[in-house]
Amino acid sequence: MTSPSHPSPRIPELTLDQCIKCNICVSACPVVAVEDRFPGPKYAGPQAGRFRGARQPSPDRSVDFCSGCRVCNMVCPNGVKIAEMNARARRDIVASGKVPFVQRLRNNLIARTELLGNLAQPIAPIANILLSNSIIRGITESTLSIAKDAYFPPFAPQRFSRWWRETRKPVSRRNLVSRQHPKNKIRVHPRSSASHVVFFHGCATEYYEPHVGRAAIHILEANGFEVIIPPQNCCGLPLLSNGEFQAARRYHENNVRSLAPYARRGIPITGTSTSCTLTLKEEAPELLDMHDEDTRLVAEHTYDFHEFLLQLLDIGKLVTENLSPIPLRLGYHQPCQYRAHRIGSPALEIMRLIPELQIVESHADCCGIAGTYGYKKEKYEISMAVGQPLFDFVLDVGGPMAVCDSETCRWQITHGTGMPSIHPVELLAAAYGFEPEGALAEVLHHQLSLKV
Amino acid sequence: MRQLDTEVLVIGGGATGAGVLRDLAMRGFEAVLVERRDLTYGTTGRFHGLLHSGGRYAVKDPGAARECIQENRILRRIMPHCIEDTGGFFVCTPWDDPGYADSFLEGCRVAGILVEEAPIGRMLAEEPLLDPQISRCFRVPDAAVDSFAAAHANVASAREYKADIFTYYEVIRLLTEGGGRRTAVSDRSSAVVGALCHDLVKDEQVAIHADLVVNAAGAWAGKIGASAGVEIAIRPGKGAMIAVSQRIVNTVINRCKMPSDGDILVPAHTVAVMGTTDVQVPDPDSFAIEPWEVQLLLEEGEKIIPGFKEMRMLRAWAGVRPLYQETRAEDSRDITRSFVLLDHQERDGVSGLITITSGKWTTYRKMAEATVDLVCEKLGVKRECRTHLEVLQAKDSRQRTVDCRRSSVDRGLPRYHLLGERLARIEKHEAYGQLICECELAAHADVERTITEGEAKTLDDIRRDVRLGMGPCQGGFCTLRAAGILHQLTVDSGLCTVEETNAALRDFLEERWKGILPVLWGKQLQQERLNELIYVNVLDVEHLPGPRASRLAAQPYALTPSPRPAGHPPSPLPELALSEAEGLGEGKGGGGGRGEGVVVIGAGLAGLTAAWRASQNGRRAKVIAKGWGATHWGSGCIDVLGYHPIGAREPVANPEEDVQRLIKENPEHPYALIGLEELHEALSAFQELCRESGYPLSGALDRNWLLPSAAGAVRPTCLAPETMFAGDLHSDEPMLIVGFEGYHDFFPHFAAANLKAQGFEARAVTIELPSLQSRRRVDTMTLGRSFDLEVFRAEVAEAVKPHLGDAARLGFPAVLGLKNPIGALRDLESRLGRRIFETPGLPPSVPGIRLHNLLVKAIQEAGGSVYNGMEVTGAITDDRNQPAVSRQPSAGGGRIEAVQTESASRFALHAAQEFILATGGFLGGGVKTYSNGYAQEMAFDLPLYSLTQSEQRFQATFLHPEGQPVFRFGARVEADLRAGYENLYIVGSALTGDFLRERSLEGVALVSGYAAGKNVGAK
Repeated sequence: MTSPSHPSPRIPELTLDQCIKCNICVSACPVVAVEDRFPGPKYAGPQAGRFRGARQPSPDRSVDFCSGCRVCNMVCPNGVKIAEMNARARRDIVASGKVPFVQRLRNNLIARTELLGNLAQPIAPIANILLSNSIIRGITESTLSIAKDAYFPPFAPQRFSRWWRETRKPVSRRNLVSRQHPKNKIRVHPRSSASHVVFFHGCATEYYEPHVGRAAIHILEANGFEVIIPPQNCCGLPLLSNGEFQAARRYHENNVRSLAPYARRGIPITGTSTSCTLTLKEEAPELLDMHDEDTRLVAEHTYDFHEFLLQLLDIGKLVTENLSPIPLRLGYHQPCQYRAHRIGSPALEIMRLIPELQIVESHADCCGIAGTYGYKKEKYEISMAVGQPLFDFVLDVGGPMAVCDSETCRWQITHGTGMPSIHPVELLAAAYGFEPEGALAEVLHHQLSLKV
Repeated sequence: MRQLDTEVLVIGGGATGAGVLRDLAMRGFEAVLVERRDLTYGTTGRFHGLLHSGGRYAVKDPGAARECIQENRILRRIMPHCIEDTGGFFVCTPWDDPGYADSFLEGCRVAGILVEEAPIGRMLAEEPLLDPQISRCFRVPDAAVDSFAAAHANVASAREYKADIFTYYEVIRLLTEGGGRRTAVSDRSSAVVGALCHDLVKDEQVAIHADLVVNAAGAWAGKIGASAGVEIAIRPGKGAMIAVSQRIVNTVINRCKMPSDGDILVPAHTVAVMGTTDVQVPDPDSFAIEPWEVQLLLEEGEKIIPGFKEMRMLRAWAGVRPLYQETRAEDSRDITRSFVLLDHQERDGVSGLITITSGKWTTYRKMAEATVDLVCEKLGVKRECRTHLEVLQAKDSRQRTVDCRRSSVDRGLPRYHLLGERLARIEKHEAYGQLICECELAAHADVERTITEGEAKTLDDIRRDVRLGMGPCQGGFCTLRAAGILHQLTVDSGLCTVEETNAALRDFLEERWKGILPVLWGKQLQQERLNELIYVNVLDVEHLPGPRASRLAAQPYALTPSPRPAGHPPSPLPELALSEAEGLGEGKGGGGGRGEGVVVIGAGLAGLTAAWRASQNGRRAKVIAKGWGATHWGSGCIDVLGYHPIGAREPVANPEEDVQRLIKENPEHPYALIGLEELHEALSAFQELCRESGYPLSGALDRNWLLPSAAGAVRPTCLAPETMFAGDLHSDEPMLIVGFEGYHDFFPHFAAANLKAQGFEARAVTIELPSLQSRRRVDTMTLGRSFDLEVFRAEVAEAVKPHLGDAARLGFPAVLGLKNPIGALRDLESRLGRRIFETPGLPPSVPGIRLHNLLVKAIQEAGGSVYNGMEVTGAITDDRNQPAVSRQPSAGGGRIEAVQTESASRFALHAAQEFILATGGFLGGGVKTYSNGYAQEMAFDLPLYSLTQSEQRFQATFLHPEGQPVFRFGARVEADLRAGYENLYIVGSALTGDFLRERSLEGVALVSGYAAGKNVGAK
């Protein structure tokens, strides 16, 4: 029944066979709990799926209210790939031209984080002022249907990749001799692949929060890894969740082309954005029906950052000695896209290594943002209502900040609670003794000054 | 006896009869049609739904081929709304004679069938699941038809031309005259003057006199003829079909070879139908499917679509071809497929009778035309046929205009039916809150209309009209709903008593069961177990008052086993057997270091209880589950023992006494292994946990509550939440059952009528709430969440107040809040001044979710964790001779070091000291079954046992009092619940025994989970 490579059936729609209509997904869906226009995961996925034909116009409308959080997939006792079915049904709505022009334009704008970053980051100071200006946001809401109250994080003054180029001497990479992939200019040391690791930074680290990437690099290097950062595109998830599959396919093909040479040598690929790594592992291949060897290799070699650290821990190769204590009590929310890796909560286990750090786990379903969902005018309120239990939790645990692995979830938490939120990797980096940045820096310095 | 007169009487409400009736009416005859059941009950409702292009007969029967393509064109024009223009492929698989293709092409050319060869790449682009080994593919104008809709359209048209139809009129015999009295068989000068019928609904006889009788009874035509002494040599040829639960192809697929068994795959609405077999049967009522037929269809399906055998099969059924032959032929497929029109005056000297039979669905109109031509001749009139000129109107709810209709309308092409129409219609009207049959998207108004406007007399008739219960769950959710609606609509008019509604409900469950029976493995078996949980355990419809079956029930299959034709391989006996070991190959290493705790596999009541109990002893418990468990489906009560022995008529009054008896009788029952003392301890510890969590469970082991179910049955249960026990039926206080307008999972009048019929004082009211009317969807969770809000409870109380009357207590569906149900209950009680109780019904179970939530919280607070989305697919044991990851239990009872779960792009390993298996057996998915009869425990491949010997795996009926023997299989354990490995414990429904029928489901889960948790904790 299962094969060693991967047990999932390849065509998500075929899993609707597994549905026994038991309504567990309906009882768990965070969107259906707050919005009547979404008929629920059972209807949208396995039921409606029986009425979708390959050679006829898409009959769908309401499935667009699925946020793609994948809570349904997780609670389903029968392995129905509801979220994937919904995503592909949305693709068909888009393909059949039923999405109004403005919405489609808007979706393409907010789903192209890379394009947005490339355009706006160079003019970060201006862009940030514009994005936080309520008049401008009012205009973008009325013209582009981008929710005026949704939170846009500020662009970073310097891109992550730029920092990488400037701080890491190219020498180290010139040392990586030997074979060269015809499509790009990467050189890899043939013998010591075990000590190499590829870092997939994703758009958030690149344009908005390079300090998260820096923290990850510090940890990897402190554990003796030579970090490689090959050219990379957006993982394509925002486009996938907006039904823009063609554009997403281009991104993923580029990424596979760029990452496959490393995967082929057994070099692990890791990233701090849990949704990017999930997209590389599973979402893109499955949704786009990409089942070629390179895509599979990349998927099999991709690890969530803490999943990777936990594997090191298991074989005794993670540096855990002399971690500096972090005497904080913080609320931690594991994002839906992280749970969807189906590996437990590695970040929680890693954070438990940090002395004096007390983590309170959130059991809220979803923050509500679901990537680009909460940025849409017609979905903003749903997104905030879905997130309310999480906001309540964060406020209940209290400051000084919240911890969460996924960038859009962090921004949503901050938006919903007014409290800063950080990535768990920042805590570990601080425990390793690296200079903290951003919100964590403020808190730790403040604590330090209190102690002094 | 009632008497009726007409000009022409048509016997048989299949495609032919309906076609004849329409043609007669259109030509101005006064005509009446009688059908012994519902329209299309016979062969018409049991065929694969293929509108032939004629390609199938192109080589073998050119005449039939020509007829088919001519009629194909006409039907596309006159009834496009009944036709889905799928097109058809004839494919040459590696198993087919490659030489046939050329004769096929030639045959098509001669018959005038438009055929074009499609490149294989193109074929695969259109139908990606087809076998890529297919060498040639030809496109023909096949299509899929809805024979129900077509018959209805014909009848509706006939009605407009003043014809009458009577369904559930069974012909007892033809009325004949000859010398002034009924004649002997040998009399050559007799005349048929009508028919004597039995009106099954009113249970009375009706004599229908007619100038002419048209015998269109299909395979039953011989029986009809015999009653007038006319011999009609019908050779019933049974053809079995199997439906795949989803539409795996969108084109009709034919094998390009001489017509044979299992060579057609037809997309029909939401499913794909694989057909057919051909077995000569002695009696046209022989519908029973033989196991070899199912196996044959699976094997032939596999030749068209690789992986076919692994797909979920929904149902199997058989139709009986009315093949006619004056002389004998060896194989019934060689008999001509062209139709037969018999003028009995000419043939037998019996006037007043015409028989039309044989033929195919595709040529029904032409058969009708020829028949009515003969009628004209007999009655001495000359009127032209116009059935091919006048377009049939789409009246059925299914054929409403929808916005997904293609632009074909603009191009002046026929408006064919499209698969997506129903969905588009629901979407357009945002009517997803109105669904009764969720699988087939039949809305409340559709079902209501079939009862009030149509001829629907049973739930099965509703099914034929709106496809109710035809989806994957096979009536699992819509049976109660349809019965509730039927009751609501018929009770006031006195058409139907609650006992009759109960019988109709049971009839429908049994009708569905007989078609599922041949395909009970895999998901369909799990589905049936869920349906059993709902209808037997939670709703307890088996004990509702009224007859077990009604007069109108679908007839049971005549079980005359057909001899297996030579050349078919012997079918593997469907016996439970151990599956072969399936090595998983090398797993990924690692997993060490963190494995000090307890891993519990499965998050149902048993698993969560085990994890909670283990963590009480300071063990770190990690629950890994594929998804949530049976808590979300059950009653939310703790049934310890409800009926003993299984099938007993009276519920257990004192579970403690009967548990003691059970322990003596069955020393391997989990209760016996664990002991009464521990049962007491487990129940009180759990009660303590629930009390601490603010959701007390009341009751004691020495007395069962008798609580009303949502259907109004009396459920015995041991522990019930405070939200339920005011409904206890030991008390005779009058009840008011309250339902909500727009909520389709609970029918207060139905429940109250049942309680009343059992001697309890009960009334019902359906309240309309403005806050619900504004909502698009009022389901169980909507209400559950609404009851968390004080403002909603206030609204409910205000709406209920005027109806209180003498009621001492109020019954609600089990939806009284998720966050603080006790607070909600108290609040409502104080507002209304009455005691209030919930009645458990269809999933999701709000009371069950409350138990789930409080257990998960207790585990997490004790430092444990609960993960879902993780399916255990294997284990690593300390047996070095075994592959790294193996499912095979080591003979010496070794240790499990880690279990392996499926995760994104790889497997994950979970190491622990001890493992508790709580995957729930057949219901929870912990045991999987296959079409070849194998059953497999999915995590460790543990052997499965049943403690009682039984010849068969299934009963002929769904509600059989003894339950289905297959479900008694499970894992056999030592006294401390260990099995297979020294550190593996088995709990809950994974154990051997049918706890669902015993009404001990939660009791066994709780006590075994508790005991295992305690045992691991003690180490």
